[in-house]
Amino acid sequence: MSSNSPTDATDTTDAVKTASASSKAAGADARVIDGTNVVKEYQTGAETVRALKGLDFHIDRGEFVSIVGPSGSGKSTLLNILGLLDIPTSGTVLVDGNDVSALSETAATRLRKRVIGFVFQSFYLIPTLTARENVEVPRLLDRKPKETTARATDLLERVGLGDRLDHYPNELSGGQKQRVAIARSLINDPQIVLADEPTGNLDRETGDQILDEFDRITDEGVAVVTVTHDDYVSEFADRTVELVDGRLSDV
Amino acid sequence: MFDALWRRFPIVLMARRNLTRARTRSALAIAAIVIGVVAIATLGIAGVAFKDAQFETLGSIGSDLQVFAGEDNDEGYLTDADIREIERATSGADLVPLKQRNADLAVGRSDGGVTVYGVENPRELYTVRDGSIPGNWRRGALVGATLADRYGLEPGNKLELDGETYRVAAVLEDEGQAAVASPNEAVVLPATAFESEGYAQVVVRSDNVDQANESAMAIRDAFNGREQQISVFERGEVSEQIDQAFAQVNLFLVGLGAISLVVAGVSIANVMLMSAIERREEIGVLRAVGYERSDVLRIMLTEATLLGVVGAFVGVLVSLGLGLVINNALLGDPLAFTTEGLRYALLGFVFGVAASALGGLYPAWKASRQRPVEALRG
Repeated sequence: MSSNSPTDATDTTDAVKTASASSKAAGADARVIDGTNVVKEYQTGAETVRALKGLDFHIDRGEFVSIVGPSGSGKSTLLNILGLLDIPTSGTVLVDGNDVSALSETAATRLRKRVIGFVFQSFYLIPTLTARENVEVPRLLDRKPKETTARATDLLERVGLGDRLDHYPNELSGGQKQRVAIARSLINDPQIVLADEPTGNLDRETGDQILDEFDRITDEGVAVVTVTHDDYVSEFADRTVELVDGRLSDV
Repeated sequence: MFDALWRRFPIVLMARRNLTRARTRSALAIAAIVIGVVAIATLGIAGVAFKDAQFETLGSIGSDLQVFAGEDNDEGYLTDADIREIERATSGADLVPLKQRNADLAVGRSDGGVTVYGVENPRELYTVRDGSIPGNWRRGALVGATLADRYGLEPGNKLELDGETYRVAAVLEDEGQAAVASPNEAVVLPATAFESEGYAQVVVRSDNVDQANESAMAIRDAFNGREQQISVFERGEVSEQIDQAFAQVNLFLVGLGAISLVVAGVSIANVMLMSAIERREEIGVLRAVGYERSDVLRIMLTEATLLGVVGAFVGVLVSLGLGLVINNALLGDPLAFTTEGLRYALLGFVFGVAASALGGLYPAWKASRQRPVEALRG
């Protein structure tokens, strides 16, 4: 379970789903993220708020997990911890076998870049960059411009935006922007894509397209975790968990 | 093709795109740098041009020594014996003994006061503009350029000094106000035309300041014990003092310019801080997708530096343009740039870029320390 060396790779049901599944697929370890008794507390003034009250969870390769729950239930907090943007107050979170509490800022950033892709509710595309450049952003500093451009083009074609490569975000519709954001989340071959209310700003039909897109990603062995209070997303998910008042329960 | 070039420097690409996003703001920040650079470079160039213009009217000060009778010298002038003594002390340096008196000058109906020098060999001190100095010079006056122009004197004309008539043999070249025994406003006569004994001063020709200083000490040693028989005026020392004074004035001017660059640096800091706040979420996204703190720092610093480079470049161009005008006004030649002047343009450029980079440091550091969780909270 702690091993993540590619040479240990043996047959697992999730990893064989597709040939393009991450080469980091690590033997018996089908879990991308594994959390045990995860607690997160915030200090607001003199008061300590317990946002997560001891969660046990895991995300497997290629699965589509939908986390639902009302506002203030701790969804965003959980997503931040899954995305290595925050660390738990207590408990253990393993991302690709690494204990996130033990990572330095730089190591966490590097692990995040390698393993995790983000899709945000409000897209967060950079307005001065074209669709293709936006997709390239996470790899822009890698100094392999040709490969990066080829991969970005390929990803945009796969999400049906092959004819919008050089358009700027303000020339794209909401659904197109979100598809650019999905392409961006995939540029580094992540093992998991975290999506915060991915359909929140979209109409139903466009939302369906995005969810289809996620479905396709999971077929390639990439896990997708969405956080939403839209129950509709759950119809597409392999698994839905509900977070209420800092506690998880399967639905 | 440019695109390919930009892609080699992705950070510069991103920085440039970010700057073009808020064009007016970037332009204003650049303008601040331009003003600062122009202040430094133009004041520097103007100072140098002013100095050159002053030296043009002063003429060369040179490093000659002038020896006069000292305050304890009873005669009040230097005798032939003194001159022999000076010759010994300076071991054969070129000496030009000068007699001097004031006289009333009359040319036709106009008259006025004038300085008259008596020199044995005027060729050692002066150059001739019109006419020539006779081989065996016993009679005939040499007239300074300014005086000649004022009275309309030409070789062959006559003038009266204290009632005695002389023929103008030559008109001398304009020697500048600082020349030794400046002839511009004077009449030069053969030493034999002076009835008085002794000399008002002796000029000791000297090629450089060090040699002059050595000679000066030797002369003082030879004459001055407890009593000050002679006084020695070291022109080289004065020339150095004047140079120093000009350098200080220039330093002061450029210092004033530097203040405006400090202000420009502050404005860059302000612009970058605002930009960092506006792009809070975007920077959060960059951090989320794997940009390290140092990457964010580099991008922001590059932006600030880019503002500085553009501003400094424009500033230097403007300064050179103003330099043309200043040179034309002070020196009569727009292209009279000197290395010394151009050095200030370079200084302005370097300071401009440095001020921007420094101004960007804190905002960049602050932006890079921002936690992505907080930036993305919305």
